[in-house]
Amino acid sequence: MVTHDDVIAIARLSKLYIAEDELDEMTKAMDDIIKFADTINNAADEGIEFDNINNLSNAFREDEVVTSYDREEILKNANDIDEGHFLVRKRV
Amino acid sequence: MAESLIKKYSDMLNNKEITCVELTEKFLNAIDTANKDLNAYVTVTPETALETAKAVDKKIADGQALSPLEGIPMTLKDNISTKGIETTCCSKILEGYKPIYNATVWETLSAQNAVLLGKTNMDEFAMGSSCETSCFGGAANPHNIDHVAGGSSGGVASAVGGNIAVYGLGSDTGGSIRQPASFCGIVGLKPTYGAVSRFGLIAYASSLDQIGPVTTTVEDSAIVFDAISAYDKMDSTSRGRVGAPVTDTLKNDIKGMKIGIPREYLEGVRDEVRVCIDKACEVYKSLGAEIVYFDLPALKYALPVYYILACAEASSNLGRYDGIRYGYRTSSYKDVNEMICKTRSEGFGGEVKRRILLGTYVLSAGYYDAYYKKAQNLRGSIVRAFDNSFTCCDVILAPTVPMTAFEKGSAISDPIETYLTDICTVPVNIAGLPGVSVPCGFGENGLPIGMQIIGNKFCEGTVLNAAWQYENAVGSEVFKASEYGVKL
Amino acid sequence: MKYEMVAGFETHIELATNTKIFCSCTTKFGGDPNTHCCPICIGLPGTLPKLNRQVVKYAIMAGLATNCEIANISKMDRKNYCYPDLPKAYQISQYDKPLCEHGYVQLSSGKKIRLTRIHIEEDAGKLIHKRGDTYIDYNRGGVPLIEIVSEPDISSVEEAKEYVERLQQIMRFIGISDCKMQEGSMRCDVNISVRPEGSTKLGTRTEIKNMNSITFIGKAMEYEFSRQVDLIESGGKVEQQTLRYDDVTNTTSSMRGKEDANDYRYFRDPDLVTISVTDEEIDELRKMIPELPFEKAQRYADELGLNEKDAQNLAKYRKIAEFFEESSEGIRNPKTAANFIIGQIFRRLETENDKEEFNIAISAQQLKELIKLIDDGKIKNNLAKTTLEKMLDTGKSAKEFISESDMAGMDENTLIELCKKAVESNPKAVADFKNGKQKAIKSLVGFVMKESRGKADAALAEAKIAEIIGG
Repeated sequence: MVTHDDVIAIARLSKLYIAEDELDEMTKAMDDIIKFADTINNAADEGIEFDNINNLSNAFREDEVVTSYDREEILKNANDIDEGHFLVRKRV
Repeated sequence: MAESLIKKYSDMLNNKEITCVELTEKFLNAIDTANKDLNAYVTVTPETALETAKAVDKKIADGQALSPLEGIPMTLKDNISTKGIETTCCSKILEGYKPIYNATVWETLSAQNAVLLGKTNMDEFAMGSSCETSCFGGAANPHNIDHVAGGSSGGVASAVGGNIAVYGLGSDTGGSIRQPASFCGIVGLKPTYGAVSRFGLIAYASSLDQIGPVTTTVEDSAIVFDAISAYDKMDSTSRGRVGAPVTDTLKNDIKGMKIGIPREYLEGVRDEVRVCIDKACEVYKSLGAEIVYFDLPALKYALPVYYILACAEASSNLGRYDGIRYGYRTSSYKDVNEMICKTRSEGFGGEVKRRILLGTYVLSAGYYDAYYKKAQNLRGSIVRAFDNSFTCCDVILAPTVPMTAFEKGSAISDPIETYLTDICTVPVNIAGLPGVSVPCGFGENGLPIGMQIIGNKFCEGTVLNAAWQYENAVGSEVFKASEYGVKL
Repeated sequence: MKYEMVAGFETHIELATNTKIFCSCTTKFGGDPNTHCCPICIGLPGTLPKLNRQVVKYAIMAGLATNCEIANISKMDRKNYCYPDLPKAYQISQYDKPLCEHGYVQLSSGKKIRLTRIHIEEDAGKLIHKRGDTYIDYNRGGVPLIEIVSEPDISSVEEAKEYVERLQQIMRFIGISDCKMQEGSMRCDVNISVRPEGSTKLGTRTEIKNMNSITFIGKAMEYEFSRQVDLIESGGKVEQQTLRYDDVTNTTSSMRGKEDANDYRYFRDPDLVTISVTDEEIDELRKMIPELPFEKAQRYADELGLNEKDAQNLAKYRKIAEFFEESSEGIRNPKTAANFIIGQIFRRLETENDKEEFNIAISAQQLKELIKLIDDGKIKNNLAKTTLEKMLDTGKSAKEFISESDMAGMDENTLIELCKKAVESNPKAVADFKNGKQKAIKSLVGFVMKESRGKADAALAEAKIAEIIGG
């Protein structure tokens, strides 16, 4: 059973606010989904560990420098910048 | 037989029956009209399209040969990064975001002068089966605009089905290419995991996401797949296409091919869909293939396994939207933490929030073993079960969706009911297999029905050949052109 | 009651690769903010990580140099937490399958500090708080780190300092990091608790985060040790918490956590594939591990007959040790090379950093040529010393400063003539000597040495002078 407190705790970890008036609905939705997810616990676990789908290993990159992007490009999509930094003002 | 649209337009360009600028303008004009009904495009890019078209015309004038996709008007789902062109995943949180780099698939296609008409609609962050979780509203079905185009790549399917793009690229995490292709009566291929680079595809669930072509014919699907399937050093999970170009394998005789049908796929499927599958079996038999029915009990848990794994990965992939480096930021806050939380709460829609919360839940301390780890192990079982199936058949035939396109608004009212409609598509993603949806008939409401052909890993050639043989045998019987868009 | 300290370390070390762990941006320290960045290291949507081969190699070398077992199969995991310096809201790290496990670092006392594990991960960016505004620079984001986790085997500040120093020396020696604590390329967190001496039960521990000098580590641990003891003695309880050390006030204070409750939700990163290392590859890397400082010091003492302190000083820095070994190779008395390095050369290398960098004007071969002249009896030590100074000033070889006549040696008659001259021109010194001031003779010898430009044999000169005065 998913409780209000569960949802509040999970929302905090997820950096989401759940408004008071949404809490009942979200808890119900979560509870439904978790009940649905719970059905997997009826399945026998063959204990086959899943690694990656094509069993790939050692996809490495060589240690060679490529010129970085212009700072202008890096900062282009930011909401607020100052002195070449991404910026979050104290309060808005 | 179904005519390749890509080849047709390419021939017209090469034979100078039409210039690329004229062709592009026809599509741009058609978008102007049709998009009001279809809402397939969320961004239209006439300037870049015409600029490319001019370059193609110059090449033609200079007598240079065109590559197969050169000058062909096309579209990309709005989760494929395009440098300088807004890429939003149809989420408020990516409002105004213009990538500073290209996704590998777009890098490849734009190098071949593919004419990008614009970016197409999708469920927010590809989370949905009706395209209706898009912050721009859903895309309509080109066969009946009171119905959805499907999801999550609803916009691409609507555009291609509505003839306002020759082809498009979508992404498929749990059916997001195949399901809308089925709803819109066109061809959608989800390639083998690792066949097409994911670099630049904005992640929903990294271990399940694959980019693939949405086209009107199987041959077009093969042409586009050949163009985009290559090893990419930027993607650690990339392998590229294995073996010869898929276009070379089309038209191979399928006499003696074993087509398997796992009985589980037929459970809970509407009768009209079942009838279409049975008819397709008859067509295959007439082509000399053998139909084998078998059980695949591992499929029983595929859906909850999918939702647990996809949401777990999504909860982590979507953590980065914090309003600092790109996208939406809330207008008022007290401190950095509140800025982040408010931005996310205002920027994400309801379905995205639900999946983030579910994903966080199944990964959190105390629940990890019961959900995430168990689901991961069951994924291993499902992979093994499919491996075993391909020892007794060459391809698997199954419905794509248990029904025809939903009426608008019906999917969002009950999320779990909607999740259940993904039952036929998710196993392919879990097992990393290639699967194509091709049209195979119509429902009572006149809307298209699709069927899936699923193959072993990296056997896109076998899958598309089986699909091509069917398409060629039935011809226009299962295909109906939408009233919208360009017809030449 | 007497209390003992129980401490363990988590040490983060930046690897000296050219590029970041998952993209091809430079790892150079400094640089204007956000100029060492690309879509991957600022976490733009759709970007994917690609692991730097060198990071895996370096981490395995760190493991081999600290006696770890190396995992044949390893993987990368996501550690999820949201903080502005972490552009993806997860740090790619290793959770349950680290590259290296079960190692140790041995202290000079012989005590082994066990290492639980060494794993690879990415560094975060840097936050600068100005007037309450938060400025973010991602240049450091994605720089490769190893995290070395020790068992709580450290029971004194001295052991802690030696442990950190040894780690620093090892990592520098194998060339995988410069371990500059001031620049943040080596950072230590320490877990510390106290218990009554003789007890085997562990007390509640606190964690002091991000210390960037060995001196501060010592001070912080001393402070925290007495704080905990005082707390217990006064009937209080140590609370498990994360602390920050303030080097100005020399106190620790509680740090608000990044998360109210830390639940990192680790899971395998689906964007990265398995890391598989064969035994053959591990053996290849093992061959690249040089003799480590403590082993070297031991050998210098045992085989070359250096005293312990000199041996340690020479072995501590890789470049110095290499210089010493090359310049003393095949020399009759390696101590000569040791003395020149510790004497003349060290005087020119004031800081630890100077010694680490070891930028001097001459090569080991040049020093060796000079020592050979002594070995062959062609010049005396004094001349060699002054010559070495000139060599170090100019970078020129010994031959440039020593003439044929300098090397011709000095016959006894010439020496006696010079000694006589010394006695004649220094009546005061002679008088002093006669009055029993034995030391006065030294200035006379000095006169001879100077006149002979160092060619004279000082001991012989002293004997002759004594003879002349006495006779």
